[in-house]
Amino acid sequence: MVEHAATLDAEDVGAQQAETGARAELLTETEFQDLYRLHARPLWAYLFRLTGNTADADDLLQEAFCRMLAARLATRDDDQLRAYLFRVATNAATDLWRRGGRSRRREEPLADESAGAVPDREDAALKHDMARTFRELKPQERVLLWLAHVEGSEHREIAAALGLKAASVPVLLFRARRKLAGLLRKKGYGPGERS
Amino acid sequence: MTFRACSKQPDILTAAADGRELPAALSAHLASCPSCREQVDAAVFVRGLAATPDAAHRLPDPAVIWWKAQLLRRWQAERAASAPIERMRWIELAAGLASLAAFLGWQWQSLVNLVARAIPAGVAAASAAPQGASPVALMFLVLGTASLGAMFVAALHRRLGGDMH
Repeated sequence: MVEHAATLDAEDVGAQQAETGARAELLTETEFQDLYRLHARPLWAYLFRLTGNTADADDLLQEAFCRMLAARLATRDDDQLRAYLFRVATNAATDLWRRGGRSRRREEPLADESAGAVPDREDAALKHDMARTFRELKPQERVLLWLAHVEGSEHREIAAALGLKAASVPVLLFRARRKLAGLLRKKGYGPGERS
Repeated sequence: MTFRACSKQPDILTAAADGRELPAALSAHLASCPSCREQVDAAVFVRGLAATPDAAHRLPDPAVIWWKAQLLRRWQAERAASAPIERMRWIELAAGLASLAAFLGWQWQSLVNLVARAIPAGVAAASAAPQGASPVALMFLVLGTASLGAMFVAALHRRLGGDMH
Protein backbone atom coordinates (compact mmCIF):
# COMPACT_ATOMS: atom_id res chain seq x y z
CA MET A 1 0.00 0.00 0.00
CA VAL A 2 1.30 3.44 -0.84
CA GLU A 3 2.67 5.28 2.16
CA HIS A 4 0.91 8.57 2.64
CA ALA A 5 1.96 11.35 4.93
CA ALA A 6 -0.28 12.47 7.73
CA THR A 7 -3.57 14.01 6.85
CA LEU A 8 -3.36 17.75 6.90
CA ASP A 9 -6.05 19.16 9.08
CA ALA A 10 -6.19 22.23 11.26
CA GLU A 11 -4.60 20.47 14.25
CA ASP A 12 -1.84 19.01 12.10
CA VAL A 13 -1.07 22.42 10.69
CA GLY A 14 -0.86 23.83 14.19
CA ALA A 15 1.35 20.95 15.34
CA GLN A 16 3.68 21.38 12.40
CA GLN A 17 3.99 25.06 13.05
CA ALA A 18 4.85 24.39 16.66
CA GLU A 19 7.46 21.83 15.67
CA THR A 20 9.10 23.51 12.74
CA GLY A 21 8.27 27.11 13.40
CA ALA A 22 6.99 27.24 9.82
CA ARG A 23 4.73 30.15 9.10
CA ALA A 24 1.35 29.31 7.65
CA GLU A 25 1.01 31.11 4.36
CA LEU A 26 -1.40 31.34 1.50
CA LEU A 27 -0.41 29.73 -1.77
CA THR A 28 0.91 31.93 -4.54
CA GLU A 29 -0.64 31.68 -8.00
CA THR A 30 2.37 29.81 -9.37
CA GLU A 31 2.31 27.31 -6.50
CA PHE A 32 -1.39 26.83 -7.06
CA GLN A 33 -0.93 26.21 -10.81
CA ASP A 34 1.71 23.58 -10.07
CA LEU A 35 -0.50 21.90 -7.49
CA TYR A 36 -3.46 21.96 -9.84
CA ARG A 37 -1.46 20.31 -12.61
CA LEU A 38 -0.33 17.62 -10.21
CA HIS A 39 -3.54 16.81 -8.32
CA ALA A 40 -6.54 17.99 -10.31
CA ARG A 41 -6.83 15.00 -12.63
CA PRO A 42 -6.75 12.24 -9.95
CA LEU A 43 -9.00 14.29 -7.69
CA TRP A 44 -11.47 14.81 -10.52
CA ALA A 45 -11.44 11.08 -11.33
CA TYR A 46 -12.21 10.34 -7.68
CA LEU A 47 -15.04 12.88 -7.59
CA PHE A 48 -16.46 11.65 -10.87
CA ARG A 49 -16.56 8.06 -9.58
CA LEU A 50 -18.25 9.29 -6.41
CA THR A 51 -20.87 11.51 -7.97
CA GLY A 52 -21.38 9.87 -11.33
CA ASN A 53 -21.56 13.07 -13.33
CA THR A 54 -19.08 15.53 -14.70
CA ALA A 55 -20.87 18.70 -13.55
CA ASP A 56 -20.86 17.68 -9.87
CA ALA A 57 -17.27 16.51 -10.16
CA ASP A 58 -16.29 19.89 -11.66
CA ASP A 59 -18.12 21.81 -8.93
CA LEU A 60 -16.60 19.78 -6.13
CA LEU A 61 -13.14 20.02 -7.63
CA GLN A 62 -13.43 23.81 -7.74
CA GLU A 63 -14.76 23.90 -4.20
CA ALA A 64 -11.90 21.75 -2.88
CA PHE A 65 -9.25 23.94 -4.52
CA CYS A 66 -11.02 27.14 -3.43
CA ARG A 67 -11.08 25.92 0.16
CA MET A 68 -7.42 25.05 -0.06
CA LEU A 69 -6.60 28.49 -1.44
CA ALA A 70 -8.55 30.15 1.35
CA ALA A 71 -6.64 28.21 4.01
CA ARG A 72 -3.26 29.18 5.41
CA LEU A 73 -1.08 26.13 4.93
CA ALA A 74 2.02 25.44 6.95
CA THR A 75 3.30 22.88 4.49
CA ARG A 76 4.07 22.57 0.80
CA ASP A 77 4.57 18.83 0.95
CA ASP A 78 2.81 17.25 -2.03
CA ASP A 79 1.62 14.15 -0.18
CA GLN A 80 0.16 16.20 2.63
CA LEU A 81 -1.51 18.64 0.27
CA ARG A 82 -2.92 15.74 -1.73
CA ALA A 83 -4.33 14.14 1.43
CA TYR A 84 -5.75 17.52 2.42
CA LEU A 85 -7.39 18.02 -0.97
CA PHE A 86 -8.98 14.58 -0.94
CA ARG A 87 -10.26 15.18 2.55
CA VAL A 88 -11.74 18.56 1.69
CA ALA A 89 -13.27 17.15 -1.50
CA THR A 90 -14.78 14.24 0.42
CA ASN A 91 -16.30 16.66 2.93
CA ALA A 92 -17.70 18.76 0.10
CA ALA A 93 -19.19 15.65 -1.55
CA THR A 94 -20.68 14.56 1.78
CA ASP A 95 -22.21 18.03 2.17
CA LEU A 96 -23.69 17.71 -1.30
CA TRP A 97 -25.29 14.37 -0.46
CA ARG A 98 -26.57 15.65 2.87
CA ARG A 99 -28.07 18.75 1.28
CA GLY A 100 -30.05 16.98 -1.39
CA GLY A 101 -29.56 13.27 -1.02
CA ARG A 102 -28.30 12.12 -4.37
CA SER A 103 -27.49 14.82 -6.83
CA ARG A 104 -30.37 15.72 -9.11
CA ARG A 105 -27.96 15.75 -11.99
CA ARG A 106 -28.15 12.74 -14.20
CA GLU A 107 -25.43 10.17 -13.99
CA GLU A 108 -23.51 10.14 -17.21
CA PRO A 109 -20.68 8.23 -18.80
CA LEU A 110 -17.46 9.95 -19.69
CA ALA A 111 -16.86 10.77 -23.31
CA ASP A 112 -14.40 7.91 -23.54
CA GLU A 113 -16.77 5.53 -21.74
CA SER A 114 -19.82 6.10 -23.87
CA ALA A 115 -20.38 3.58 -26.60
CA GLY A 116 -19.65 5.08 -29.96
CA ALA A 117 -17.07 7.54 -28.71
CA VAL A 118 -14.28 5.03 -29.12
CA PRO A 119 -13.62 2.52 -31.83
CA ASP A 120 -13.98 -0.42 -29.44
CA ARG A 121 -17.65 -0.23 -28.45
CA GLU A 122 -17.52 -3.40 -26.43
CA ASP A 123 -14.69 -2.04 -24.32
CA ALA A 124 -16.53 1.25 -23.81
CA ALA A 125 -19.70 -0.55 -22.75
CA LEU A 126 -17.70 -2.65 -20.31
CA LYS A 127 -16.11 0.44 -18.76
CA HIS A 128 -19.47 2.11 -18.48
CA ASP A 129 -20.94 -0.95 -16.86
CA MET A 130 -18.02 -1.13 -14.42
CA ALA A 131 -18.64 2.49 -13.47
CA ARG A 132 -22.35 1.82 -12.99
CA THR A 133 -21.60 -1.16 -10.79
CA PHE A 134 -19.37 0.98 -8.61
CA ARG A 135 -22.09 3.61 -8.31
CA GLU A 136 -24.50 1.02 -6.97
CA LEU A 137 -22.54 1.19 -3.74
CA LYS A 138 -23.40 3.75 -1.08
CA PRO A 139 -21.39 6.99 -1.22
CA GLN A 140 -19.51 6.12 1.94
CA GLU A 141 -18.57 2.73 0.52
CA ARG A 142 -17.30 4.34 -2.68
CA VAL A 143 -15.17 6.77 -0.67
CA LEU A 144 -13.79 3.98 1.48
CA LEU A 145 -12.86 1.76 -1.44
CA TRP A 146 -11.39 4.54 -3.55
CA LEU A 147 -9.29 6.05 -0.80
CA ALA A 148 -8.05 2.64 0.34
CA HIS A 149 -7.35 0.99 -3.00
CA VAL A 150 -6.68 3.82 -5.41
CA GLU A 151 -5.21 6.53 -3.22
CA GLY A 152 -3.62 4.06 -0.82
CA SER A 153 -4.72 6.14 2.14
CA GLU A 154 -4.15 4.86 5.64
CA HIS A 155 -7.09 3.91 7.80
CA ARG A 156 -6.76 6.99 9.98
CA GLU A 157 -6.76 9.23 6.91
CA ILE A 158 -9.92 7.58 5.63
CA ALA A 159 -11.44 7.89 9.08
CA ALA A 160 -10.59 11.60 9.16
CA ALA A 161 -12.07 12.15 5.70
CA LEU A 162 -15.31 10.44 6.63
CA GLY A 163 -15.58 11.50 10.25
CA LEU A 164 -15.34 7.92 11.49
CA LYS A 165 -13.31 6.16 14.15
CA ALA A 166 -10.14 4.66 12.71
CA ALA A 167 -11.04 1.30 14.28
CA SER A 168 -14.24 1.08 12.23
CA VAL A 169 -12.51 1.58 8.88
CA PRO A 170 -11.21 -2.01 8.42
CA VAL A 171 -14.65 -3.41 9.23
CA LEU A 172 -16.42 -1.02 6.87
CA LEU A 173 -13.85 -1.67 4.16
CA PHE A 174 -14.30 -5.41 4.53
CA ARG A 175 -18.06 -5.02 4.18
CA ALA A 176 -17.76 -2.66 1.23
CA ARG A 177 -15.45 -5.07 -0.61
CA ARG A 178 -17.78 -7.94 0.14
CA LYS A 179 -20.76 -5.98 -1.15
CA LEU A 180 -18.88 -4.99 -4.30
CA ALA A 181 -17.79 -8.59 -4.84
CA GLY A 182 -21.44 -9.61 -4.55
CA LEU A 183 -22.43 -7.04 -7.17
CA LEU A 184 -19.64 -8.20 -9.44
CA ARG A 185 -20.76 -11.82 -9.15
CA LYS A 186 -24.32 -10.81 -9.93
CA LYS A 187 -23.17 -8.95 -13.04
CA GLY A 188 -20.95 -11.74 -14.21
CA TYR A 189 -17.62 -10.14 -13.38
CA GLY A 190 -16.81 -12.81 -10.82
CA PRO A 191 -13.72 -15.03 -11.00
CA GLY A 192 -13.77 -17.22 -14.06
CA GLU A 193 -16.60 -15.20 -15.55
CA ARG A 194 -14.45 -12.42 -16.91
CA SER A 195 -13.29 -12.70 -20.45
CA MET B 1 -23.26 -8.86 8.57
CA THR B 2 -20.45 -9.94 10.86
CA PHE B 3 -16.79 -9.01 10.53
CA ARG B 4 -14.92 -12.28 10.16
CA ALA B 5 -11.92 -11.44 8.03
CA CYS B 6 -9.47 -14.18 7.27
CA SER B 7 -6.16 -13.72 9.09
CA LYS B 8 -4.21 -13.83 5.81
CA GLN B 9 -6.32 -11.14 4.20
CA PRO B 10 -4.17 -8.09 5.06
CA ASP B 11 -1.07 -9.76 3.57
CA ILE B 12 -2.93 -10.82 0.46
CA LEU B 13 -4.47 -7.39 -0.05
CA THR B 14 -1.13 -5.65 0.47
CA ALA B 15 0.57 -7.92 -2.03
CA ALA B 16 -2.25 -7.43 -4.51
CA ALA B 17 -2.07 -3.66 -4.05
CA ASP B 18 1.64 -3.62 -4.75
CA GLY B 19 1.08 -5.71 -7.86
CA ARG B 20 3.52 -8.31 -6.53
CA GLU B 21 3.17 -11.95 -7.33
CA LEU B 22 1.84 -13.76 -4.29
CA PRO B 23 4.16 -16.13 -2.46
CA ALA B 24 3.23 -19.77 -3.00
CA ALA B 25 1.66 -20.15 0.44
CA LEU B 26 -0.59 -17.11 0.01
CA SER B 27 -1.43 -18.08 -3.54
CA ALA B 28 -2.54 -21.52 -2.37
CA HIS B 29 -4.57 -19.93 0.39
CA LEU B 30 -6.22 -17.52 -2.04
CA ALA B 31 -7.28 -20.40 -4.26
CA SER B 32 -9.01 -22.11 -1.36
CA CYS B 33 -10.43 -19.10 0.53
CA PRO B 34 -13.57 -17.58 -1.01
CA SER B 35 -13.55 -14.67 1.44
CA CYS B 36 -10.03 -13.60 0.48
CA ARG B 37 -10.85 -14.08 -3.20
CA GLU B 38 -13.83 -11.78 -3.11
CA GLN B 39 -11.87 -9.17 -1.17
CA VAL B 40 -9.05 -9.23 -3.70
CA ASP B 41 -11.49 -9.19 -6.62
CA ALA B 42 -13.19 -6.08 -5.25
CA ALA B 43 -9.88 -4.29 -4.65
CA VAL B 44 -8.62 -5.17 -8.13
CA PHE B 45 -11.91 -4.01 -9.65
CA VAL B 46 -11.67 -0.59 -7.97
CA ARG B 47 -8.10 -0.12 -9.14
CA GLY B 48 -9.15 -1.16 -12.63
CA LEU B 49 -11.86 1.45 -12.54
CA ALA B 50 -9.34 4.10 -11.55
CA ALA B 51 -7.19 3.12 -14.49
CA THR B 52 -10.03 3.89 -16.90
CA PRO B 53 -8.86 6.85 -18.95
CA ASP B 54 -10.74 10.09 -18.40
CA ALA B 55 -8.34 12.38 -20.20
CA ALA B 56 -11.03 13.49 -22.65
CA HIS B 57 -12.80 15.55 -20.00
CA ARG B 58 -11.67 19.12 -19.86
CA LEU B 59 -11.00 20.18 -16.30
CA PRO B 60 -12.15 23.56 -14.97
CA ASP B 61 -9.76 26.39 -15.81
CA PRO B 62 -7.34 26.91 -12.90
CA ALA B 63 -7.31 30.67 -13.55
CA VAL B 64 -11.04 30.81 -12.87
CA ILE B 65 -10.61 28.83 -9.65
CA TRP B 66 -7.80 31.16 -8.62
CA TRP B 67 -9.95 34.26 -9.09
CA LYS B 68 -12.94 32.64 -7.39
CA ALA B 69 -10.72 31.87 -4.41
CA GLN B 70 -9.46 35.46 -4.34
CA LEU B 71 -13.05 36.73 -4.25
CA LEU B 72 -13.92 34.24 -1.54
CA ARG B 73 -10.90 35.28 0.50
CA ARG B 74 -11.79 38.97 0.13
CA TRP B 75 -15.37 38.26 1.14
CA GLN B 76 -14.19 36.30 4.19
CA ALA B 77 -11.83 39.14 5.14
CA GLU B 78 -14.70 41.64 4.86
CA ARG B 79 -16.89 39.46 7.01
CA ALA B 80 -14.16 39.06 9.59
CA ALA B 81 -13.58 42.82 9.62
CA SER B 82 -17.25 43.67 9.98
CA ALA B 83 -17.97 41.00 12.61
CA PRO B 84 -17.11 43.28 15.59
CA ILE B 85 -19.34 46.02 14.12
CA GLU B 86 -22.19 43.55 13.79
CA ARG B 87 -21.67 42.42 17.36
CA MET B 88 -21.58 46.05 18.51
CA ARG B 89 -24.97 46.69 16.88
CA TRP B 90 -26.58 44.03 19.01
CA ILE B 91 -24.76 45.27 22.10
CA GLU B 92 -25.93 48.79 21.24
CA LEU B 93 -29.54 47.63 20.98
CA ALA B 94 -29.32 45.61 24.19
CA ALA B 95 -27.68 48.53 26.03
CA GLY B 96 -30.39 50.88 24.76
CA LEU B 97 -33.16 48.60 25.97
CA ALA B 98 -31.42 48.04 29.30
CA SER B 99 -30.99 51.80 29.77
CA LEU B 100 -34.63 52.36 28.95
CA ALA B 101 -35.69 49.68 31.42
CA ALA B 102 -33.42 51.13 34.09
CA PHE B 103 -34.72 54.63 33.44
CA LEU B 104 -38.34 53.50 33.57
CA GLY B 105 -37.68 51.55 36.77
CA TRP B 106 -35.98 54.55 38.32
CA GLN B 107 -38.34 57.28 37.16
CA TRP B 108 -41.58 55.32 36.93
CA GLN B 109 -43.44 57.25 39.60
CA SER B 110 -42.34 60.62 38.18
CA LEU B 111 -43.46 59.55 34.70
CA VAL B 112 -46.83 58.43 35.99
CA ASN B 113 -47.24 61.77 37.75
CA LEU B 114 -46.17 63.63 34.63
CA VAL B 115 -48.67 61.77 32.46
CA ALA B 116 -51.38 62.24 35.10
CA ARG B 117 -50.72 65.99 35.11
CA ALA B 118 -50.81 66.09 31.31
CA ILE B 119 -54.11 64.21 31.25
CA PRO B 120 -56.26 65.76 33.94
CA ALA B 121 -58.97 63.13 33.63
CA GLY B 122 -56.48 60.41 34.56
CA VAL B 123 -54.95 57.57 32.63
CA ALA B 124 -57.56 55.05 33.74
CA ALA B 125 -60.42 57.16 32.50
CA ALA B 126 -58.65 57.75 29.20
CA SER B 127 -58.09 54.05 28.58
CA ALA B 128 -61.64 53.20 29.65
CA ALA B 129 -63.13 55.69 27.22
CA PRO B 130 -60.73 56.22 24.34
CA GLN B 131 -63.23 58.36 22.47
CA GLY B 132 -63.05 60.89 25.23
CA ALA B 133 -59.25 60.81 25.57
CA SER B 134 -57.49 64.10 25.42
CA PRO B 135 -55.52 65.00 22.27
CA VAL B 136 -52.30 65.05 24.33
CA ALA B 137 -52.79 61.43 25.42
CA LEU B 138 -53.48 60.39 21.85
CA MET B 139 -50.38 62.24 20.72
CA PHE B 140 -48.29 60.36 23.35
CA LEU B 141 -49.77 57.10 22.21
CA VAL B 142 -49.12 57.76 18.50
CA LEU B 143 -45.61 59.06 19.08
CA GLY B 144 -44.74 56.14 21.37
CA THR B 145 -45.99 53.57 18.87
CA ALA B 146 -44.24 55.32 16.01
CA SER B 147 -40.94 55.39 17.95
CA LEU B 148 -41.14 51.70 18.79
CA GLY B 149 -42.05 50.87 15.19
CA ALA B 150 -39.14 52.95 13.88
CA MET B 151 -36.74 51.24 16.28
CA PHE B 152 -37.96 47.84 15.20
CA VAL B 153 -37.72 48.65 11.48
CA ALA B 154 -34.24 50.11 11.93
CA ALA B 155 -33.06 47.02 13.82
CA LEU B 156 -34.59 44.74 11.21
CA HIS B 157 -32.99 46.72 8.39
CA ARG B 158 -29.58 46.51 10.02
CA ARG B 159 -29.96 42.80 10.59
CA LEU B 160 -31.06 42.03 7.05
CA GLY B 161 -28.50 44.39 5.60
CA GLY B 162 -25.82 42.61 7.62
CA ASP B 163 -26.93 39.20 6.35
CA MET B 164 -26.76 40.28 2.75
CA HIS B 165 -23.19 41.54 2.91
